[in-house]
Amino acid sequence: MRAHLGVMVGGLWMVMAVAPAVAHHSFAAEYDNSKPLKVTGVVTKIEWTNPHIWFFVDVKDENGNVTNWGFSGGPPGVLQRRGITKNALKAGDTIVVEGFRARDGSNNGSGGVVTFPDGRRVFTASAEDALPKSDK
Amino acid sequence: MRRHLGAIVAVLTGVAACSLGFVPVLAGGQAAGRSSAPLTDGGKDAGKQAAGPIPRTVDGKPDLSGIWDTPKAPGSRGGGATVFDKARMAPFRPGGEALFYEPRTGDPRKDEPRAFCMPSGFPSAFLGPYPIQIVQNQKNLVMVTEFMRVTRLIPLDGRAHLKDIEPTFYGDPVGRWEGDTLVIDATNYKRWSLDDWYYQNPKEYRMHTDAFHTIERLRRTDANTISYQFTVDDPKIFTAPWSVDWEMKLHPEWEKTGLYEMVCQENNRCEGGNCRK
Repeated sequence: MRAHLGVMVGGLWMVMAVAPAVAHHSFAAEYDNSKPLKVTGVVTKIEWTNPHIWFFVDVKDENGNVTNWGFSGGPPGVLQRRGITKNALKAGDTIVVEGFRARDGSNNGSGGVVTFPDGRRVFTASAEDALPKSDK
Repeated sequence: MRRHLGAIVAVLTGVAACSLGFVPVLAGGQAAGRSSAPLTDGGKDAGKQAAGPIPRTVDGKPDLSGIWDTPKAPGSRGGGATVFDKARMAPFRPGGEALFYEPRTGDPRKDEPRAFCMPSGFPSAFLGPYPIQIVQNQKNLVMVTEFMRVTRLIPLDGRAHLKDIEPTFYGDPVGRWEGDTLVIDATNYKRWSLDDWYYQNPKEYRMHTDAFHTIERLRRTDANTISYQFTVDDPKIFTAPWSVDWEMKLHPEWEKTGLYEMVCQENNRCEGGNCRK
């Protein structure tokens, strides 16, 4: 029974993890929703600024090479209204980031979901899953 | 035990959805309706103010002041963006369809000028998932959206529209009372995007022309609700005006902080698809 509950709650987290958020522009203009991205790394910098917060993560590959990735999140005000402040994420935190790559091929992306080592998931990014159906 | 389990799961779901602002996604990956997306903090306290007589200003008019969630279909919760439903539109007049659908060119400066911090225009700026504050007195009604702090100053003194002025992104709105209904009539728009940016057809976007004329009818139906009818009249595109019916919900809990500042130019890192270091 307890295992069943765990699966159900896990499932809820999974469906809620695909998280449209808020942007001032078209997600499609800047990010490629055919290129999902999931990295684990250490936070190096946070820019708690409009129109979107940005956070930067050092990601080490299997050869030990480190690449710094930048990820955008929601606007500070929207996050703040949800109770997520600039203290939610700190330099030195190890996180898993899920999102989509920037269209320009740079080491940037939308940071849709951030997961901490204790399982907490916070932040949302651009509206990749909120695409309305075409009306034509 | 089963009832207990159900309650635990329900609570966890509610807490998670409200605290994270995540949007439940239905099987198959279709978002469970943008209109239900709790992007402006879940709307969990909306409607909790005791229903009762609607507040009125000293001159007896309904007082629409307060911080409201974005207009959307009646019954929707949360703060999803609103896109016009084609099923509600009037038929095109000859040549209207070509004016309405403008093909995307691949040049983001032309296709999505809002990505370069250009204005969203009206009603687009007021349809995204951001709170709207209304401040009202006998002479004016002011609508401010948190989105870029776009402001509409609407005179209520019965004046006519301005003449011989350059068209603008947000038009020339004038208001008048018809009983308890506030009617906002606006003209003098420049040709610009009709929809909120959530309309993301990859082939084209939808425009209004410089003949665009909007009529809004706002009526506070109870202490927590504004019934909001929005009429699109664009005689260069459509054979007749057409309307959609939305509502806005009051959020007294957002008064604590008010609207947050949102400035597009501050750190627009991936402007138009080119991310800078």
